[in-house]
Amino acid sequence: MGLRLLHTSDLHLGKGFGGFPEAIRNRLSEARHTAIARLAQAARQGGATTVLLAGDTFDTETPSPQTLRHALHSLAEAADIQWLMLPGNHDSLAATELWRKIAAERPSNLHTLVTSEPLSLAPDAWLLPAPCTQRRPGRDLTEAMQAPTPAGAVRIGLGHGAIADFSGEEDVAGIIPPDRATRSGLGYLGLGDWHGQMRVNDATWYSGTPEADSFKHPAPPAALLIALDGQDAAVKVTSVPTGSFRWLSAQIDLLPGDLSRLTDALPHPRGRRDCLVKIAVTGRLTLADRVMLDADLARIAPDFGWFACDLGGLGTDARPDDLDMIDRAGALRHAAEALLSDAQDPALTQTDRDLASSALSRLYAFAQADPA
Amino acid sequence: MKLRGITLTNVRHFAGKQARLSGICDGVTVLSEANEFGKSTFFDALHAVFFEKHRSTGKVVKALQPHSGGAPEVAVDLEVSQGRYSVTKRWLSRAFARVTDANGKIFAQDDEAEAWIGTLLAGGRAGPSGLLWVRQGLMGLEPDAKDDRDRDIATRRDLMSSVAGEIEVMTGGRRMNVVLDKVAAALLPLVTPTGKPKAGGDWALALDDAAEQAAQETVLREKVRSLGDDLRRRSDLLREQSRLGDPATVAGRETALAQARAAHQATLAHAGLQTEAAREVALCDLTCAATLKDIARLERFSARLRATRQDCDRAAATALTDRDHAEILSAKERSLAEGIVRTAADTRSLRLRLAAAQKGQLAHAARQRVSDLTRSLQLAEDVQRQLEAASAQRRLISVTPQAVALAEKSQIALDRLAARAEAEAPVLQFTYSGAERALRHGEPVEVGPLRIVVPTEFDLPGIGKLHVDPGAERGADLAAALAAAADAHARHLLACNAADLLAARRDLHASQRLDDVLRSAADALASIAPDGLAALRDACSHAAAEAGLAPNAAAEDPDALDLLVSGAEATEADARAAASTAQALAKLAAEKRAKSEADLRSAERAVAEGTEEAGDPTVLAMALSAHRDQLAAQQLRADAARSEVARLQATAPDLETATARLSRAASVVDLARKRADDLRAELASLNTRIELLADQGIEESLNTVIEARATAAARALRYDAEVQALFRLRRALDDARAQARDAYFGPVLRELTPLLEILHPAAALQIDDKTLLPVTLTRAGVHEPLDILSGGTREQLAILTRLAFARLFARAGQQVPVILDDALVYSDDDRIEAMFTALHRVATDQQILVLTCRQRAFAALGGEHAQVQVTDL
Repeated sequence: MGLRLLHTSDLHLGKGFGGFPEAIRNRLSEARHTAIARLAQAARQGGATTVLLAGDTFDTETPSPQTLRHALHSLAEAADIQWLMLPGNHDSLAATELWRKIAAERPSNLHTLVTSEPLSLAPDAWLLPAPCTQRRPGRDLTEAMQAPTPAGAVRIGLGHGAIADFSGEEDVAGIIPPDRATRSGLGYLGLGDWHGQMRVNDATWYSGTPEADSFKHPAPPAALLIALDGQDAAVKVTSVPTGSFRWLSAQIDLLPGDLSRLTDALPHPRGRRDCLVKIAVTGRLTLADRVMLDADLARIAPDFGWFACDLGGLGTDARPDDLDMIDRAGALRHAAEALLSDAQDPALTQTDRDLASSALSRLYAFAQADPA
Repeated sequence: MKLRGITLTNVRHFAGKQARLSGICDGVTVLSEANEFGKSTFFDALHAVFFEKHRSTGKVVKALQPHSGGAPEVAVDLEVSQGRYSVTKRWLSRAFARVTDANGKIFAQDDEAEAWIGTLLAGGRAGPSGLLWVRQGLMGLEPDAKDDRDRDIATRRDLMSSVAGEIEVMTGGRRMNVVLDKVAAALLPLVTPTGKPKAGGDWALALDDAAEQAAQETVLREKVRSLGDDLRRRSDLLREQSRLGDPATVAGRETALAQARAAHQATLAHAGLQTEAAREVALCDLTCAATLKDIARLERFSARLRATRQDCDRAAATALTDRDHAEILSAKERSLAEGIVRTAADTRSLRLRLAAAQKGQLAHAARQRVSDLTRSLQLAEDVQRQLEAASAQRRLISVTPQAVALAEKSQIALDRLAARAEAEAPVLQFTYSGAERALRHGEPVEVGPLRIVVPTEFDLPGIGKLHVDPGAERGADLAAALAAAADAHARHLLACNAADLLAARRDLHASQRLDDVLRSAADALASIAPDGLAALRDACSHAAAEAGLAPNAAAEDPDALDLLVSGAEATEADARAAASTAQALAKLAAEKRAKSEADLRSAERAVAEGTEEAGDPTVLAMALSAHRDQLAAQQLRADAARSEVARLQATAPDLETATARLSRAASVVDLARKRADDLRAELASLNTRIELLADQGIEESLNTVIEARATAAARALRYDAEVQALFRLRRALDDARAQARDAYFGPVLRELTPLLEILHPAAALQIDDKTLLPVTLTRAGVHEPLDILSGGTREQLAILTRLAFARLFARAGQQVPVILDDALVYSDDDRIEAMFTALHRVATDQQILVLTCRQRAFAALGGEHAQVQVTDL
């Protein structure tokens, strides 16, 4: 049996999730902490005894003592696993206090990769780490992976940073060349920084974070199980789910009478407690549908660990029948007609039109509370 | 709904009786009865049927109970669109509510009956019935109680908003209120009445939360920045510490220092050699100088020895010459001394003779002096005696010139007074015929006139006595003045110690003369014996004594002897002068001899000393030669030393440079050590600060706070949007209601205006926006607030307004009877007639029930008259 490794990154332990209510915030923080145990279990199940942490294990350069201690204790509890921790941009080597404390308190099964010296994983396998020296080092740190290793040994690179720059500029400093694995003769290049799992090429992978922390990446969070059976054998990469929370983000375009599209897009009720949902609703609804939509959202929101629905892009179509539901005549009817007129008046600003539309929706809702 | 009959059983006034009011028609129905008939009992009972639940035990219900007690019961026959019904309610005991149809069949009971009644009134008391039923004494348009006012306003608003839209249903108005209430309810927890975020509200809490998070973010950012600075600083320091402690660097610094030290030592050694060479040069120079000094000294000794020997030879020759000369002069001196002795003896003899002659001359002079002094003494003693005698006489005379002057003055005054008295005195003319004479004071008075100055008594022989008084009365003052003057004159004379003025003047002249004598004697005595008489006597005695010792006569002539003595003395003086000169010359010669001899001895000693000092001249010459040879050798050595010094100087390294290099190398090492110490100290401080901040997890907190702030800000924005939407809705509602108000005032005014025209032609009413009631009456262009109108006018307008609303209700399909209980109590006859007309105008499609006690006044109302039938139970 060849070399088995579990590749993960971006645990971001200590991330606060301050934008969320306290209840879910605490659960999210706890989920990040328990990801260590899930990674250990995934490694065991995949036959790996070594877990490569490709940077950003900690969210900040100076995590709280509680965050650090809890992490070190969890790592220590998985005594059968060897953890190789690479500094990322969030916990770069510039975080001297962090790495000083880790060096002082680390369990025996944790090894920090604070230099680019090749590390022997096995007699015929060498790890070539490229620790982040600074948050923005401004150079290609994986250049260090050119370091020689014994002939015939499997070379595994471990780095942290972007492999592509989307600014459009060429030769941007600090960008890892996509062909780094080929250039440096690596059998596998494990990268961190990108929180979603991504294959760059057969030998180059971003593992993604083992526990999602935003709506940015739709795929379920996972780690990568790496199997290397010799220098000449192709690396086998297997994605292993590790997340406990699902972060679901969706944009739903609704049409009158088509409210079911919203409920259809939501997960099954059983898993909703561990699901965070952010939905942006667009399209146009009648006033009646809008009231119904509001009612549906109010009904289903408590199912989820966190639920947010942005209705800013949803327009309202008021028909005569809708206005009749407000009042057939009189002051209420006049008010509704005036608001509808403003909501559709191209001479007004979008803000004023939206405001009139919102006011009309509320008028409709209030009027329905006291039906004729 | 229209009323058809009312039956009261055991109600208040009708205790133990049943009273039935019937004959209520569709238009105006009047029940005109006297006071205490029970009209208000009917009104209250009818009111209770519609507005008091059958289970009520409130005071309204109890007010229906008769004094004798029991349960009041009221039955109302009414007609609605579905048919005729009878509503019966009983309170307090076995209470029930019941609705039966025209066939007597129970249609609804109790709560269902109450609900059915509520539908008739379209809202109970809050509905139109509560608005239209008018109790006794109505003055204004609104009830006094706030709750009632609010209720009526709501009712009017419902009515008017519905009517204004020309919609037959009234719920439109209520829905507006519901929406407004919901808007207000939605805004209430969010904003203040002025539209600001309400303290404690969700919006304010979100804003506060965002502000608090922002404040925390600022603090945390500062801490993170500080921590980051410290961490970077520590990294820099650690790198510097590492560089400082790098063994190669340390070794380099130490090597540089050792090399600098070695170079410095070599430079110092070279400098030592230079110093030694210089010292050798100096030593050679000193040796040469000393040798030169020795040579000079030996040469000086040799020269001085030659000179002293020459001096000694010259001194010996001089001493010989001086000794011969001194002996010659000494002999001459001795010869002259002998001549002096002889001349001195001659002179001494002549002097003895001269002295004897002079003593005799002096004795004669002394005796002459005694004689002169004796005469002076005798003269002086005579003058002394004269002086003493004159002095004694003078002492006897005491008169003074002043006293005599006073006496003369008083004498003159007395004489003047006496002359006056005499001039004024009577004059007696004595003539005698015989020898007999008159006697005065025993003396005869001769012939002739006699002035009688004072009382005078005459003896007239043969006749007797004649007493003549010049007249006391005539000269009293004069006599007194005369007496006073006489007294004064007597006193002055007494002061002069004289009997009269003449004696006084004589004494004065005597005293002046004695004074002259005394002065002359004193001057004479002073001239004779200036030192006094006693001194003169002593001088006299002394001179006598001296004269007694002097020889009696002289042997030779002193003057001749004196000439001889002078000649002898001149000779002696010449001899002494010659001897003195010789002696001086001899002395000089002796001194010169002594000096030359001393010089000789001194020269001899100098020769001896020079010989002693310089030694043997031969030896001295040898030594001099040896020193000169030695000097030449030393000068050669000094030249060699100087050459060495020059050579060393030419090859010497720069000591200052070597010292500077050593100093620099040492300072580099010292600075490195000091910097290492400083780094350790600063690192310790940084470590402390870093540990303090790092242990707080401030970056985690900052990230959390940043996200929380953003969330809070977004939440606040959502609330802001919600508030803006609600404000927009409220504004739309307000605008719509304002437009509607303008619309629904129209129907009210359309109903009210013709009624008002009946009472006040060409008048108009203005309706208040809030109360929806008339607020101003305009007549002939004058706006009159209702508050200032008379009670009758206000009463009429209140009823007309209700009638107008009643017509609106009717147009809206809500037929509700108008019931007036003793209304129009303040109206005059003309106005009440007009009101009757208005009632009838409304009654064309409105049931109106009028209860009144004013039978005559309301006789003109017309309409149908209801009947009341009372039976005992």
